[in-house]
Amino acid sequence: MKGKKKRLAVLVDLRKCIGCDACSLACKSENDVPLGVWRTWVKKVEKGQYPHSKEFFLPILCNNCENPICVTVCPVNAGIKRPDGIVYIDPHRCIGCRYCMASCPYGVRYIHPRRKIAEKCYWCHHRVDAGLEPACVQACPTDALLFGDMNDPESEISKVAAENAIQVIKPESGTDPHTFYIALDIDSVEAIKSEDK
Amino acid sequence: MDTQVLYNILHQEAFGFNIAMYFYLTGLSAGSFILSTLAYGFGMNQYKSIGRVGVVLATLLLVIAPFFLLIHIGMPHRAWHLFVYLNMSSPITWGSFLLVLYPINCIIYGYFMFKEKMKQTRIFAFIGIPLAIAVHGYTGFILAFGKARALWNTALMPILFLASAIVSGIALMILVIIVKDRFFTKAKSINRDLILNLGKLLAWMIVFDLFLVGSDLLVLSISHSDAQTAAHLILVGKFSILFLVIENLLGKIIPFILLVVPRFRTLTTVVIASLLVVVGIFIMRYVVVLAGEFVPLL
Repeated sequence: MKGKKKRLAVLVDLRKCIGCDACSLACKSENDVPLGVWRTWVKKVEKGQYPHSKEFFLPILCNNCENPICVTVCPVNAGIKRPDGIVYIDPHRCIGCRYCMASCPYGVRYIHPRRKIAEKCYWCHHRVDAGLEPACVQACPTDALLFGDMNDPESEISKVAAENAIQVIKPESGTDPHTFYIALDIDSVEAIKSEDK
Repeated sequence: MDTQVLYNILHQEAFGFNIAMYFYLTGLSAGSFILSTLAYGFGMNQYKSIGRVGVVLATLLLVIAPFFLLIHIGMPHRAWHLFVYLNMSSPITWGSFLLVLYPINCIIYGYFMFKEKMKQTRIFAFIGIPLAIAVHGYTGFILAFGKARALWNTALMPILFLASAIVSGIALMILVIIVKDRFFTKAKSINRDLILNLGKLLAWMIVFDLFLVGSDLLVLSISHSDAQTAAHLILVGKFSILFLVIENLLGKIIPFILLVVPRFRTLTTVVIASLLVVVGIFIMRYVVVLAGEFVPLL
């Protein structure tokens, strides 16, 4: 493992998530995300019939994939994958053609209502470059979110990932997503609003 | 399992009416161009009179089409980025060059045609055919590269788009020829044989298009779960009336019957069939684009 280049990742321990939306709000204020759109949010799904029912929480972030389809299809090279794995959009380059939104399997991108360019979560790369954690990770009151270098065997995230069963959303999309989940529930991923079927 | 989504974020859809319209217009343009090369490229002289109409239509439609893209993109004044910051893995980059080369070729081809210089016309016809196929085929790749969407992510998409392009191109050509012959010529007489001939061509292209749509649907309906959801959406879900009734029944099957049954073979039925096809193919673009991204991803 030594000498491998840095690969940042987020690990969400869903056993610890209480669905408080602190991550969503921290992201909103850190990145000045406008009304109506979100870079990170918590999908909430209720399973079963009362009294045998439970609410499941699924924090959604950009997966900052290893093979990002959004970067492949961007016609102006505005989508950029950094060597440490973070995928971001050059705001001065983007023409707002929405092709990345159409191709992303996770629907994490949106058009900024006023600037008219595509935006998404990039794990707060401005904070990461300053040696801080992403805002959502820092805000999480139960430490359900972990951020770090997946390729460094000494990092906390790689230790937790090694000792637990982890999963990603839609591994079949072939994008090699790097937001990992512990105790990911298939029903809460696949549940879509019944009226949309 | 009983599941109920209590809270989720669904962002705005990526492609809308403007993109469907753009696909429709490039399809009509490519179809018209290919029809005009029948006489001027391949020497089928019975189609000579549609050559000029074809090239004018092809050029006009392709000059209009990119304006729908400019309306669609959020930053139209940055459109020049498409020609400077190239990403060769993106179909839109291929398209930005095709959208420049194809109309230029159309204009040169048309110029020689109107000057009656047959040799040069033939050369530019043969340069134009691959360009016409590419300029519409690439739009199929735009959707096929959208790998999150089961309805789009199929290798059939480019050929499906080309088949419907030729179908809609023939139908539009029939309508334009009739209007032109009836109102804008001195003789005011319609070349009946030509129209019926084009009608026959249209009928067999419809069969090819139906075959492609059918194979796409068959595979979708037994493929992975997202594909089944997509098939369900267009067969019994919200898009079923648009897809089954308007696109396929009114837009393809009824025109086919009108065109092939000898009893119905009159100018009026050919016109009705062409009108139905022109509307049906527009609905096809609309359904492909909008139904493709209708089902939420998460």
